[in-house]
Amino acid sequence: MSLLVVNAGIELRRLIKNERKLVVFFSSPNVPQCDQVHNVLKTLKEDTVNSEILFVHVDAEVVSEVSKQLEIISVPTVLFFQLGEEINRVCGASIPDITKSVMNLQSAPANGSPNDLSSRLHSLINKAPVMLFMKGSPEEPRCGFSRQIVSILRSNNAKFETFDILQDEVVRQGLKSYSNWPTYPQLYVKGELVGGVDIVRELADSGELAQMLIVP
Amino acid sequence: MKDQIEQKLKSLNPLHIEIVDFSDGCGLKFDVKVVSQEFEGKSLVDRHRIVHRLLEEEMKSVHALTLKTLAPSQWSLKSS
Repeated sequence: MSLLVVNAGIELRRLIKNERKLVVFFSSPNVPQCDQVHNVLKTLKEDTVNSEILFVHVDAEVVSEVSKQLEIISVPTVLFFQLGEEINRVCGASIPDITKSVMNLQSAPANGSPNDLSSRLHSLINKAPVMLFMKGSPEEPRCGFSRQIVSILRSNNAKFETFDILQDEVVRQGLKSYSNWPTYPQLYVKGELVGGVDIVRELADSGELAQMLIVP
Repeated sequence: MKDQIEQKLKSLNPLHIEIVDFSDGCGLKFDVKVVSQEFEGKSLVDRHRIVHRLLEEEMKSVHALTLKTLAPSQWSLKSS
């Protein structure tokens, strides 16, 4: 069976963004080493243990913009992605390295595992120096406490980003356990839980909130 | 519900408890103030976690709970 051939940069970007486990093989015609890599990837693809992995074959010149973006400077180069993040790359026809990287990708925890959710939550709470998990958005809060906390932050001239937990039940439930905090809104500063609206109000009254919000 | 909350909070040997019921059409809502030695030296987040743990059952039915947790030293200063 052949690798999936992708000829459009847009399609390649979409796969990188959406696939859970992805191997992207950048090649070029008339480069003998590419044939060698192509053959080993086909063999690896056929192994049922790798059934969760999507193997993609692209011509580096045909998807030149993406190649440039990903800093592909020679062929063959093989990139390994998990949940949209590059986790490894092998330049040249190093068959042992390619095989090892495929094994690592195959055994990495898949979407939905506790580890993966933890990583996602960790990324979310660190997405901005001041991060508010609320119901709705600052422009359209969907509960009184979310509205109040936005008001407090704004009157303290806070520069903050928000995440609407009504849009993502996995995050909504996961973050309660992750932070051992049962309610929303939840405010994070530099990745640390500050608390809900009652604590934030208390900190604002004492002047501590303004201090906390000074982020370099 | 208010009595249940008060009963649970007694395990903190509080010097003072104040529970205001401001429930409305959205459901049960309480504002709770507790003064206890248990809170001394603890961060606000950890103090609230202590109360959350005690009120785990009640919080399933309560729509909104706001807390103020004070150590005795803070309370005497504020004399609130």
